[in-house]
Amino acid sequence: MEPAKKRVEAIDPVQAAADYGIDIAQLRDNLALTVAERLRRHQIALNTVEKLRTAKRL
Amino acid sequence: MGLLRRVSEAGIEFVVVGGFAGIVHGCNYVTQDIDICCVFAPDSLLALQEALADVHPVHRMTPGRKPLALTAESAAEFENLYLDTDLGRLDCLSTIEGLGDFAQVKQASELFEVEGLRLGVLTLEALIQSKQALNRPRDREMLRQLQALRELRRNEAN
Repeated sequence: MEPAKKRVEAIDPVQAAADYGIDIAQLRDNLALTVAERLRRHQIALNTVEKLRTAKRL
Repeated sequence: MGLLRRVSEAGIEFVVVGGFAGIVHGCNYVTQDIDICCVFAPDSLLALQEALADVHPVHRMTPGRKPLALTAESAAEFENLYLDTDLGRLDCLSTIEGLGDFAQVKQASELFEVEGLRLGVLTLEALIQSKQALNRPRDREMLRQLQALRELRRNEAN
């Protein structure tokens, strides 16, 4: 008797990412941008993070 | 981009890898360091040191954050350089897990032009391969984003 073959279900990477909490709409938006725009937006986000990191607590 | 421009203008051949390459491909996180793979020949590293001299490069992972002060002899001892500068962090790697040395990494890269700068960047497929080979918990989110981006691109192409 042959051993039972384990059924492997294909996992949709987009669904897996969404289940993990990743914002798929943002990824779609990024794909619509040029590389230069992606880097520019990243730099803006990074500058904001840097400002918040050095912010004074009131 | 300032750091990459300096390295490029110094004539050093490199490929952008790691988290910054993920940004190029469309990932939506923020990363504070730029990882590049380059040839670790003493001449190349001395040229890198000269290109960064006025932005005060230090070894960010050494106690006391020692200034970068390579000589032809000491440059031959490094396999990786983890630097912090006035323009941000720059990690220079001689090999990439799952891919190999600079020559192999270059084979797995593609060229982009950004603000007049020609950048070699690891392909999405190679980036996924390297992150799978590393298999570190901290890379899991990036890997999921990369795999989703690959699928979204495929869906767009069909």
